[in-house]
Amino acid sequence: MAPDPTPIPGHKAVETLVAKLRRRQIVGSRQAALETVLVLRQVVSKARFSNIQQLIVIIREAGRRLVEAQPKEHTVGNTVRRVLHNIREEYHSAVKVSAPTSSRNVYTISKFVLQGQPRKQTVGAPKSETTATLKEDDPDDPDSFARGIKPILMEAIQDVLDELETVYDNVSKTAKDHIHSDEIILTIGHSRTVEAFLKSAGHTRNYTVIVAETAPSYSGHDMARALSAAGISTFLVPDSSIYAIMSRVNKIILGAHAILANGGLVAITGSLLAATAARAHSTPVVVCAGQFKLTPLWNLYHDYGALDFADPSSVLGFEEGKLVERVDVVNPYYDYVGPELVDVFITNDGDHPPSSVYRLIKETYDDDDHEL
Amino acid sequence: MAPAPTLDVHPVNGPPAGEPSAGQKSQKQMTKAERRELQEKQRAAKAAKAAANAPNGKLGGKAAKELSALAGAPSKKTGRPSDAASKPPPPGLVKAAQAKAGQASLADQSARNQARGLLIFSHFGLPKPVSAAKGDIHPAIARLALQFSTFKITGANARCIATLTAFKTVIQDYVTPQNNTLSRHLMTYLSPQISHLVAARPMSITMGNAIRQLKLDISGSDIDLPEQDAKDVLFRKIDTYIRERIIIADQVIQETAGNKIKDGDIVLTYARSSVVEKVLLEAHASGREFSVIVVDSRPMLEGKRLLAVLSEAGIQCTYLLLPALGSVISEVSVVLVGAHSIHTNGAVYSRAGTALVAMMAKRHSVPVVVCCETYKFSENIQLDSFTKNELAPLGDLFSSFPNNKPREYLTLENQPHLEILNPLYDLTPPSCITAVVTEVGVIPPNAISSIPVALGRL
Repeated sequence: MAPDPTPIPGHKAVETLVAKLRRRQIVGSRQAALETVLVLRQVVSKARFSNIQQLIVIIREAGRRLVEAQPKEHTVGNTVRRVLHNIREEYHSAVKVSAPTSSRNVYTISKFVLQGQPRKQTVGAPKSETTATLKEDDPDDPDSFARGIKPILMEAIQDVLDELETVYDNVSKTAKDHIHSDEIILTIGHSRTVEAFLKSAGHTRNYTVIVAETAPSYSGHDMARALSAAGISTFLVPDSSIYAIMSRVNKIILGAHAILANGGLVAITGSLLAATAARAHSTPVVVCAGQFKLTPLWNLYHDYGALDFADPSSVLGFEEGKLVERVDVVNPYYDYVGPELVDVFITNDGDHPPSSVYRLIKETYDDDDHEL
Repeated sequence: MAPAPTLDVHPVNGPPAGEPSAGQKSQKQMTKAERRELQEKQRAAKAAKAAANAPNGKLGGKAAKELSALAGAPSKKTGRPSDAASKPPPPGLVKAAQAKAGQASLADQSARNQARGLLIFSHFGLPKPVSAAKGDIHPAIARLALQFSTFKITGANARCIATLTAFKTVIQDYVTPQNNTLSRHLMTYLSPQISHLVAARPMSITMGNAIRQLKLDISGSDIDLPEQDAKDVLFRKIDTYIRERIIIADQVIQETAGNKIKDGDIVLTYARSSVVEKVLLEAHASGREFSVIVVDSRPMLEGKRLLAVLSEAGIQCTYLLLPALGSVISEVSVVLVGAHSIHTNGAVYSRAGTALVAMMAKRHSVPVVVCCETYKFSENIQLDSFTKNELAPLGDLFSSFPNNKPREYLTLENQPHLEILNPLYDLTPPSCITAVVTEVGVIPPNAISSIPVALGRL
C-alpha cells in the first residue's frame, strides 16, 4: 500500500489496527468493532480541525484504511459509519441549539431535499452548555472550535462504545419471551450473541438445544460445551442430520456475521442449509445479532468472490497424499442467506422483520458514508 | 389396630438393591398391602439415590434422606401398622422434611428434566457392543458380525453380498439332524445366526429382502433330494439372486443413468454409493467429458474413498463438506445419489445428509436422480427419519475429524447435560426427487409403488 501523504492524527494506532486486521489476529466481529471504536476515539482526540467537515474527512480516511485492511470484516466499516453518524448528529444538535428544531419526525419532501434523509429525532436539549459559543473557522483561534466540540464528540463515541459493550445483555432481554418451556431449539456454529441469548433464557426456562457441529471449523463443539456447562440440555449432532431432526425442532436460532441492507445476512457456512431446511418444515428462523452488524451494502452475494475462503487442509489435508494434487477443495467460510428465509432479527435495539432492515440502516447511518 | 405383621419388614430407607433374597423369601408371607408398602419404600430409595446423584443436587445427601423420609410418610397413610414395621420419622423431622420438600422436589425435578431432555431420542438406541457369541454361531457369521460392528463393511449392496456369501459357507457346513428335513430345520438353524448379525448392527433392508428370499427358497426345496444336491440348488439360487438383482441390475443402471450425463456437465454426488461410483466410472470410460463434485460429511466421511477412486480414474473432481453446499449448488447440472432403501410412497432412505442435498438441489432447480436397484424396495412407509434410524458409535471411529484440529477442542464423549447423536440415515421426501433409475426403468417417485407390479412381470 502506498504510504499516505498526509499522516492522520493518531495514525500509529490506526496502523496497528490495520496490521492486526490484515493478519486476522482479531477474532470475532464484536472485538473488531470495539477496537475500531477505540482507535477512532484516539484519532478524534488527537485531531486538529477548525470545522466539522475536516474532522469528517479525517475519520473517513482512517476508516477507509481500516476497511481496506480486511474488507470482509464488515463491522469495522459499520462502526466507522456509526461514529460518523453520531458525530454529525451531535454537531447538528449543538449548532442548531439556538434555532428551534422544527425537524420532528415529519418526513416531507422539503425535508428530504434540505437534509438529504430522515434524521432520527434527537433529544432537544444539547448535551453540554458550552455549545452556544461554537464558532467554526475562526481565523484567530483555529482550535477553538475543536476544543469546544471535542467533549461532545467524545460522548458520542462513548455512546457507541457503551452500546457495543452491552450488546449481549440487550439482545438477551427478550430471550424468555421467545423461548418457551420444553422447546427444542437448533443452532449452528458458535455465536457469542446466540450463546448469551440461550443462556439467559436458560435461567427461567427448561428447554433443549441441538447444536450442529458446523464442519470444518467444528465451532459447534465449543457452543455445545458452553451451553451444557450452563446447565442447558444439549445435543451435538453432525451437519448431515439437520434435515432429519428438523421435524422435531421448534425454531432455529442463528448468529450473523453481517446483516445486509436487503434483509439478508452473511453467516457461517451451513446457515443456508439450516435455514432452507427450516423453511421446508415451516420452522421459524430467528437471527440474533447486534446492531453493529447492520451493513449498508447489499450486493455482496453475486460473485463467487464475495465468499471468504478458509484453509483447505481442514477439509482435505496433506495426509491424503496424492489426492491433494488432483482434487480441488472448496472451503468457504460464509454463506449468504436470503431475506425470504429469515423470520425475525433480534437485535439489541428490539426485534425487526427482514423487510424493515433498510429503514434501520437509514436511521443508523448517513447516506454519504455508504462508500467510505 | 390391625394385627401386627408376622415377620420383620425392613426399615424406611428400604432394602438396598443388592438384597433381594431376604425380601423375596418373605414376600410370599407378606400380605398385598405389605408388598405394596415395600415397593413404595424401594421406589423412594431409588428416587433418593437418583436425586442424590443429580448433578445439580446441591442439597446432597441430606435432601436424599429427607426425600426418603418424606416417601416413608405416605406409607403411614395406607393405614397399615407401619409403626411397628418401619421406624416412623419423628413429627419434627416430618415438618422439616416438608419444608425442604420444595427444594428436594426441585432437585428431583431438575434431575427428571435432565433425564427427560435426553430421552427425546432414546428410541434410537445406541449400538450395543457385540457380545461373545452364545450358542453355536458359525465362525463366518462371527467374523461378519465383527466386520459390521466395526464398520469395515458398509453400504447396502456390500453388506447384502457379504451376508449371502457367509450364509453359503454356513449352509455348506450344515448337517441335517436325524428325523428332520433340510427345508424345515435349516431355517431354525439360521435364525440365531441372523440374530447375531442384527445384534452387531441393525439389518439393512437389502439384507432383509435377501434373507426373505432365501427363506422362501429353503422352504420350497425338494424333500426328496439328497442333502448335497439340495444345498447345491440353494447355492445356485443365492448366486442367481446376487447376479440378477445386484450385479446385472447395476449394469443396467449404469447405462441408463450414464445417458443422463452429457458432455460438460457438473455432476454432484453425496458420500459414497457403490452404484453411483459405477455409473460415473462407466460414463467416463465411454468417453464423456464431465467433472464431479463430491460432497461429504461426518460421521462417516465416506466420500473420500469415492474421491480416491474417481481421481484415480482421471475424472476431474472437487471435494467439499456439506455446509459448503450452498456456494456451489447453482453451478451443478445433475445430482446423482444412491439409496439404502426406497419406500412405496417414493421416499428414499439413504445416508444422513442426502435429504439436505436433495432439498438444496430442488430449490435451485437441479434434477435429483436416485440410482437404486429394485431389491432395495421396502413395502412399509416411513414418515420421517426417526421411525427407523441407526446411531453411529461415539468417538472418532472413522477418523473423520481433520488432523489440524487439536483433539481437546472437540467433544467426543457425553458429558453432563451434553449428549452426542450421530444418526447414520435420513429420509428424503419424494417431493425433492426428480427420478429413480432402477433396472426396470426410470420411474418418477410417485410411481414407486408400481415396482412390485413391474417385478412380477419379470
